[in-house]
Amino acid sequence: MSSALKTTAAIKQLFKFEKGFGAYLPEAYKKFYIEWQVKEPVAIHYIPEEGRYKRDEVTGEIIPIQNVPIPLKFPEEHNAHIWGGEGVVQGFKKHDKFIRRVPHFWIPVLRRSVVYSEVLDKHISVVVTNRTINMIHSNYGFDHYLLKTPACDLKSLLALGLKRLVLQEITKGCPVYTNNPIKQMEILNQYKQYLSSYTPEEIEWYGYSFDEACNKMKKILDERDKANKAPLKHLYRTKLVEKLKTAQIEAANQKIESSSSTSWIQNINPFGRKHEA
Amino acid sequence: MWTQFTRPLLLLEKIYLLKEGIQIINYQQIRTTFILKRRTSPPLHKKGGPIKRLKSKHYVYDLVQDTDIVRQPNIDLILTRYVEGIGNKGEKVSVRPDYAYNQLLLPGLAVYVTPENSEKYKNEKSTSEIQYSSRSAQMIANILSNKTISVVMNKENPWSLKPWHITTSFRKCGYHVPENCITMPAKSIQGPNMDIESKEFFVTVTINNTERVKVRCRIHHWSTSIVDRIPYEYEFWKKPTSPIFSRDENKNM
Repeated sequence: MSSALKTTAAIKQLFKFEKGFGAYLPEAYKKFYIEWQVKEPVAIHYIPEEGRYKRDEVTGEIIPIQNVPIPLKFPEEHNAHIWGGEGVVQGFKKHDKFIRRVPHFWIPVLRRSVVYSEVLDKHISVVVTNRTINMIHSNYGFDHYLLKTPACDLKSLLALGLKRLVLQEITKGCPVYTNNPIKQMEILNQYKQYLSSYTPEEIEWYGYSFDEACNKMKKILDERDKANKAPLKHLYRTKLVEKLKTAQIEAANQKIESSSSTSWIQNINPFGRKHEA
Repeated sequence: MWTQFTRPLLLLEKIYLLKEGIQIINYQQIRTTFILKRRTSPPLHKKGGPIKRLKSKHYVYDLVQDTDIVRQPNIDLILTRYVEGIGNKGEKVSVRPDYAYNQLLLPGLAVYVTPENSEKYKNEKSTSEIQYSSRSAQMIANILSNKTISVVMNKENPWSLKPWHITTSFRKCGYHVPENCITMPAKSIQGPNMDIESKEFFVTVTINNTERVKVRCRIHHWSTSIVDRIPYEYEFWKKPTSPIFSRDENKNM
C-alpha cells in the first residue's frame, strides 16, 4: 500500500458531507462512504512492489518504492453486476518503439451465473466475473465473501445492497429458517461474528449511494417535520381546553374551601327578594 | 480457444465392470482478469502527500498475465449425499471448479471443506443409510439396466444357455462381466428353438457383491451358412418383443 493520499478527487468527495442534504447524513453513513470511496481497494490489475526502498539496477541509486494504483473505470451497468473488484482499465498499448501508441480498454469478461446466499436461502442470478466465483470459493460461500470483503472491493451497489440485506437478516435472527430451528441456530452461530463490527445504525445506512442516502434522509426529515408541523390552532385549542380544565378544578376546590368556613357575608344574597320593611 | 480435458478418471480397480472409453467434455477457457504493468513509472511524490498528476505515457501498459488463461486448480469438497460417479455421502472429493460450483455446490450436493464442515460430516460416512460399494457402482448399474444384450446362439447344434454365453455377449458390447457375477434365469433355456428367436429374458448382474441389476438379453440364432442366416435387423433393441418366460415364472426366480 502506498502511504500517499489518494487523488484529491477522492478526498474532495468528502466535501459533499458539508453542504445540502449531505450535512444531515448521519456519521454511520459517512463511515460507510469512506470505506467505499476513499479506502484503497486491493491491487487486482497490477502487482504491487514490496518493501520500502529498492536499488537501481544500473546506478545502484536508492529509490523509495511508491505503488501508484492503476486507475479503474466503472460503467453504470456494473452497479447491477458483481465484478469482484475488477474494473475497466483505460490505457494504451505500444507495440514497438517506433509505432505510435494505440488506445485500448482492458474489459473484464462477464458471464451470467447463479450465487446462493445461505442466510437469505435464495439463489440469485447475477452477472459475475471468474474472479467473483473464485472469491466465493476462497471465502467458503457467497455470504462469507460479502461479509468479509470491505465496500471498496465489492464496489457495486448490488453487492453492497445484498450485504446490507444479509446483515439485517442476521440481526433479525434468520427468519427464513423459522421452520427449522436447528439449522437456524447453526447459521446464526456461523455468521453472528460479523455483527460485532457494525452498530445497528451503521447496518441501516450501509450500502447506499450518496443520492440514495440523501433521499432516505429526506424522507426521514419530512416525516419528522410532518409530526412537528401540526396547525397552531390545534395547539392553541388543546392549550385552552387544558387551561379551562385547571380553572374548573381550582374553582371546585375553592367552593369546597368556602363551604367549610361559614361566614355571614357569604349567606347574603344581593339578588334575592328584598325584605319588606 | 478450445481445449479438451477428461473428467477425473474413475477408480475402477475394485470394480468388475469397465465401460469402454472415457467421457470427454468440451471445456472453453474464459479470459478475465488482466495483470498490467506501467511501461513508465510515475514520478515520485512527497511522503504522505498527494499523487502527482499522471501523463499519457503513464497510461501505456504491458500485459503481464491474463489469469484466466491459467488452468484453475481443483476444488476440495465434502459430499452431502451420494453422487453418481463422484462418491458417497461424507466423502472428501477433489473436482474441477466449474463442475464443482454448478453441479455440486449450487444444488446443495456438496459443501466446502471448512473445519466446521469436516467436523460435521466426519461420522456421516458410517451412519449414512445407503452404502454403495464404489462411487461408480450405481452409475454402471443404471447404464446396464438400460441396455439390451444380444445373445447370439447356434442355429444348428443343440445348446443350453450357460453364464459364459452371457459373459461373451457382454464382452461383445464392451462390458467385462465375469461369470461369477451372473445369475441365470431359474428355468434353463435350450435350443436351437425358433420359438424363442428375438425374445427376451433377463439375467441379474451383481456388482462388487453388493449392487444387483437386471439386464435384458435377447436370443438371436446364427447359422454358418449364409442361406439359413436370419436377416439382419437394424437397431433390434428399439423393436418391442415378448418375453420368453411369463411373469409368474419370473417371480419364482
